[in-house]
Amino acid sequence: MAQLTLEKLTKRFGTSIGVESLDLSVNEGELVALLGPSGCGKTTTLRMVAGFLPPTSGRVLFDREDVTQLPAYKRATGMVFQSYALFPHMSAADNVGFGLEMRGLNAAQRKTKIDEALKLVRLSHLADRLPRQLSGGQQQRVALARALVINPRIFLLDEPLSNLDAKLRAEVRLEIRALQQRLGLTTLMVTHDREEALTMADRLVVMDGGRVRQIGTPQQLYDSPVDAFVADFVGRCNILSGRRANEREFRTTGGLLLPTDVASSERDDADAFALRPERITVVAGETGEVRGRVQAITYMGAQTEYVVALGDETLVAVRPTPDAGEPLAALKPHDAVSLQWDRKVPRLVPQTSK
Amino acid sequence: MALLVVPACLLVLALLIGPMILMFRISLNQFSPTQLMVQALSPDNYIKAATDPYYQQIILATLGIALLCTLLTLILAFPAAYWLGRMESRWKSLVVIATLFPLLVGNVVRSAGWMALFARDGLVNTSLLKLGVISAPLEIMYTTKAVIIGIIAVVLPYMILTLSAVIESIPRDLEYAAANLGASGARVFWRVILPLSGPGVAAGSILVFVLCMNTYATAVLLGGPRFKMMAPAVYDQFVRGNNWPMGAALAFMLLAVTMAFTVFGSVAFARKYRTG
Amino acid sequence: MLFRFTGQLSFGQFAVRTLIAVAYAIIFAPVVMIVMTSFFAQEIVSFPPSGLSLKWYANALSKPEFLRGLVTSFQVALLATAIGVPLGTAAALAIVRGEFRGRQALSSFLLAPLAVPGVVAGSGLYMFYVLAEDLLDRDIKATTEGLVAAHTLLAIPWTVRLVVASLQGLDRAAEEAAANLGASPFTVFRRITLPMMRSGIVAAAMFSFIQSFENLDLSMLLVGPGRITLPVAMLNYLEFRIDPTLAAVATVQIALVGLLMVITDRFVKLSRVV
Ligand SMILES: Nc1ncnc2c1ncn2[C@@H]1O[C@H](COP(=O)(O)OP(=O)(O)O)[C@@H](O)[C@H]1O
Ligand SMILES: [Mg+2]
Repeated sequence: MAQLTLEKLTKRFGTSIGVESLDLSVNEGELVALLGPSGCGKTTTLRMVAGFLPPTSGRVLFDREDVTQLPAYKRATGMVFQSYALFPHMSAADNVGFGLEMRGLNAAQRKTKIDEALKLVRLSHLADRLPRQLSGGQQQRVALARALVINPRIFLLDEPLSNLDAKLRAEVRLEIRALQQRLGLTTLMVTHDREEALTMADRLVVMDGGRVRQIGTPQQLYDSPVDAFVADFVGRCNILSGRRANEREFRTTGGLLLPTDVASSERDDADAFALRPERITVVAGETGEVRGRVQAITYMGAQTEYVVALGDETLVAVRPTPDAGEPLAALKPHDAVSLQWDRKVPRLVPQTSK
Repeated sequence: MALLVVPACLLVLALLIGPMILMFRISLNQFSPTQLMVQALSPDNYIKAATDPYYQQIILATLGIALLCTLLTLILAFPAAYWLGRMESRWKSLVVIATLFPLLVGNVVRSAGWMALFARDGLVNTSLLKLGVISAPLEIMYTTKAVIIGIIAVVLPYMILTLSAVIESIPRDLEYAAANLGASGARVFWRVILPLSGPGVAAGSILVFVLCMNTYATAVLLGGPRFKMMAPAVYDQFVRGNNWPMGAALAFMLLAVTMAFTVFGSVAFARKYRTG
Repeated sequence: MLFRFTGQLSFGQFAVRTLIAVAYAIIFAPVVMIVMTSFFAQEIVSFPPSGLSLKWYANALSKPEFLRGLVTSFQVALLATAIGVPLGTAAALAIVRGEFRGRQALSSFLLAPLAVPGVVAGSGLYMFYVLAEDLLDRDIKATTEGLVAAHTLLAIPWTVRLVVASLQGLDRAAEEAAANLGASPFTVFRRITLPMMRSGIVAAAMFSFIQSFENLDLSMLLVGPGRITLPVAMLNYLEFRIDPTLAAVATVQIALVGLLMVITDRFVKLSRVV
């Protein structure tokens, strides 16, 4: 396994930006996820690493070796495609063996490795099936085995779970992560699904419009987003625009004063107040500092969502669904409530960090 | 609703099926130089076509040329079809139309173009002379070579359009996946693109083979009066020999070969890629 | 071409590009050659030209066989299109929208004329016409009617193919929605179905006209003195010589086909029809 380094990697399509000056390094055995809305340049980045797309400028390094000019077929990256890209005219075993064949292994050597790889993804019994005779999940595992069997220097995943149904997705997510950790694969993954990124990655790269917004661990991104875009993209978030009023309060454009601790904001240009719904406590009655009226209550199983109107603004709070008999259980729309949170939790961030 | 198909069907019945049955019947008659056609029910004309060296040679030459042209066309068309199939720019529709255009211009016009090129002091000879490749003008007109080039020019667009439609339907990711696994360009072609183009190769080859078998204008104009293929031979039987039974038999054989290939092709492969 | 990269061209890529160039050179060479020749000043086709001239066009016009051929071909193509396209469209409509058995077989039947070699169909029609002339005691061969009838065999299958394709790509829901909004079946046809078929019909008309206009194989045996189509007239001329006069005539045909394609392409994207 190698370390992957991208230096000022840039791709322009004519005048439009695909990826702009991306700096990133993925350590040996680390899984880094590129996360961002569709069209932000994730796939373009991955394709430049794989060698399918020549960068406009910048470099791609595997360990200290500059591979920017190396054609795709000499890079030894193992890629799992969003569409799986299994060869439809070859059996599962032949798909897995293709890379080995290209490396000049004879049939006997290939067989051993194919068997091993198929066993790794629990598909030994389906080795002779054609891709169209396999379910989506099985196809995905063949694609995984095919990419892993060649001992890739870098492991690349392009939205690997997006073609699976929700239940399977959660399962495969854990499976891939376990495999990646066990084999110590240096992995670059692309996804637009934040849950996928948060649960699988060691570090995340949030991108927008071809540029990096923030790089960090899931925790860092979730709790300390650098701007409103990241805050919103990484998880559900109340974002209110305005300015800080003093050291302990934020004034929204609607004139509402919200408790905060300005020390938690590292930036002077902060013009937004970001607070995650699950960090807000809802108390029945007009007792606290921040008071409002319930607009809507949505039951979501284990949790319940409260939309609370505070003058012209609204805040959303998500709480564990209260048991019958608790004060909150009796709450109805139009009831008065007050909201509370730890002052140190809200982030004061710029709307955009450009 | 069903009534709407009746007029079209009646036309095809009267003008195609009827004459084909008539033709088959006439092919069983016999020819006499004095009475022209004598009523009979015998397979003599077919036997003659199969055993008489004159006809044998025409049939074999036609099959040989058709086979050779199909093969050469396939080799020549594949890169162009790949290029066209993978093209994503706005030029694509222009290239498709440009490929289609010569096809619609007609074979007589294109044969005339080759005649002008292949003439003793045509562009080909004068260019080669000037470049010093040859010292005396080549006799290209009225050779098998000229006919083969002319036929390839006629059928190339069909092959390119048929193949490119199939290549277009092969996901590009398969090529990337193969490269990712270590396959160079040539290996991607042999192991992924070619096998997956199979249906297009088969459909295009059958279509082109049939078109080659039925070549008329190109054979007559570029091959000259002594060059014989099936279609000109059929024509000659009617116009020069006034021998309806033999002409009908030859035509029917041509029809049988064409139909056999076409039906086989359409049963084995989707027909939608046929362009003409 | 595959994985074209920043580096220089490999031998394989070079070979592939050469083949593409050769293929398109072969496709275009004869057409380009004819157009060029028609503007050359000298009588014998040779290189380099001694000058440029338009006199061969005037010369072509003065040759009655070409002028009459042009008129005949135009007439025949126009009439065959006018008859074949409506019949083919009606059949296509029934095949796609009807609910009776054997529609697939009917469609194959109507496409059959495309699969029959032109020389074969032409021979059959020739014998059929000659025998019918004896029975009916009137001319059929070498008449406009006889040629038009034969050429509807080109128009019908092309129309069926193109209109069926244009109808199959369309959603039935629009028609159902119109009916649901209170449109009578005739109104639904006129306001919804017919506009949806338009691109197919336009393309069918173009293909029918061009296929008829440039047809040689089917028509060869059905022409006669005074009723010769342009391609047959050109063929007869070419059996003796190739000269700039013929090139001028051929260029007129090339221009006509090109013009028709350009006009059609404004209505329907030809690259999507074929
Ligand atoms: N081949 C291309 N030609 C032109 N623009 C492209 C091409 N590929 C991608 N783009 C553009 O580059 C941007 C990034 O695309 P992509 O990397 O596919 O985004 P993502 O994978 O994050 O959804 C998009 O705006 C896209 O339109
Ligand atoms: Mg993408």
